[in-house]
Amino acid sequence: MHEEALLRDLLRKIDEVARENEALRVTRVRLWVGALSHLAEAHLAERWAMSTVGSIAEGSQLDVTFSGDPGDPRANRAVLESIDTVGPAGEP
Amino acid sequence: MTERTISVDYLARVEGEGALTVRIRGQEVDDVQLRIFEPPRFFEAFLRGRSYLEAPDITARICGICPVAYQMSSCHALERALGMEVGGPIRELRRLLYCGEWIESHALHIYLLHAPDFLGYPDAVHLAKDHPEAVRHGLELKKAGNHLMQVVGGREIHPVNVRIGGFYRCPTVDELGALRPELERALALAEETVRFAAALDFPDIEEDYEFVALRNEREYPMNEGEVASNRGLRVPMHQFEDVFEEVHVAHSTALHSVRRGAGSYLVGPLARYALNHDRLPPRARSAANEAGLGGTVRNPYRSIVVRAVEVVFACEEALRLLDHYRPPAAPFVEPPPTFRATEGSAITEAPRGMLYHRYRLNDGGLIEAAKIVAPTSQNQKRIEDDLRHLVERSLALDDASLTDACERAIRNHDPCISCSTHFLSLDITRS
Repeated sequence: MHEEALLRDLLRKIDEVARENEALRVTRVRLWVGALSHLAEAHLAERWAMSTVGSIAEGSQLDVTFSGDPGDPRANRAVLESIDTVGPAGEP
Repeated sequence: MTERTISVDYLARVEGEGALTVRIRGQEVDDVQLRIFEPPRFFEAFLRGRSYLEAPDITARICGICPVAYQMSSCHALERALGMEVGGPIRELRRLLYCGEWIESHALHIYLLHAPDFLGYPDAVHLAKDHPEAVRHGLELKKAGNHLMQVVGGREIHPVNVRIGGFYRCPTVDELGALRPELERALALAEETVRFAAALDFPDIEEDYEFVALRNEREYPMNEGEVASNRGLRVPMHQFEDVFEEVHVAHSTALHSVRRGAGSYLVGPLARYALNHDRLPPRARSAANEAGLGGTVRNPYRSIVVRAVEVVFACEEALRLLDHYRPPAAPFVEPPPTFRATEGSAITEAPRGMLYHRYRLNDGGLIEAAKIVAPTSQNQKRIEDDLRHLVERSLALDDASLTDACERAIRNHDPCISCSTHFLSLDITRS
């Protein structure tokens, strides 16, 4: 039920990281989702497509790993693991 | 072009569910819109096709702070639809369970969400560093309320012991009696809470509210009464939809409620108190008098005091109910084995205000339609009105100060987004 609010926070972080690294676009986002996070896979994917419009991550692929371990200390959270970016030629 | 993978490892958090858009033209406030982002949750839709017996447990999941309210409104609405009469000790136990919820919900708001605003702290964690006693009192009160819910409801969050007609199991006299020392301590803490809250500094502001709450002839309302307002409204609760309507607004996923032909209104502690202060038992009334509340409180910031008075009431009432409790012969009234298609509605007083439920059942006992009107949606338009007046008074403030002031104004009414409005995003357009 909190997908929209969570994605807004994620997108802000993605934008921050991408700009720090002088990226032009974000092409892929890897997200780890805890077993007790109350996040629904289908809903998350749908919201991702809508929420990224106009952002640096527009059109990016969202790869979600859903944890099945309710004993994980992060079980009720979601973790932004990594992003793939495209930068200008010659940039590292 | 170069491609690379950047490791982030960032723990995401749920951001605020609200935003406020303000348009200012010169020295005039053109528009104020409180936007709620939370997506629709479709509870009314997925109740359809389910057995009426499931409604109390399904609707309880709407809120983790006030699940009892959803259970009580659904039970009363469905019992009315089925022509069931539930009274005696079961009625009293329901009221006792509701006392637990009022105590835990109000204590949470008073100490952990609202008090930091008055004392200059961003949140309860910072408040606890300088005022550990206050936070400890809040947690102790909350625990007492939760414990009461656990004993009567079977679980302190989303109770599992409530059913149509009553309870699956009623507590024994000894089980309830064991709560007495904790509730006596809670009552003393609640009285201290009123003194604590009354000593805070309040902005000198009054709003012209239409207060709407239940009122009955016997007692401070929880489960029964007619719908009353300070502007002369008196209607049976089943006429709620004749008098009030929910409207969609483009800027929010939450519906806005208005009184037909009139506009915004306010439900919750300020409204209950204004319409029912003469029904308060002695210690709650005495606490209100000592705090100088008078009969009606129109200053929304002083809602923290009224909320504290309601905690005194809930503790006092819980103790009275404990003393008079005799277990019923059966834990629940048996629903009729067969019935025709039917419909029923009811309102109970959630900690945040009136909660309306209506259900239509087919002759097999399946829910064909459900309507739920929560207190926060009833108050949302009124909160916008408060914010508009605040912005009009505060045009000279910079955006950061104005955001802080708006968040405080929202928290006055303890909406469901209370805890997230510390992250309210404010979008001001000045022209």
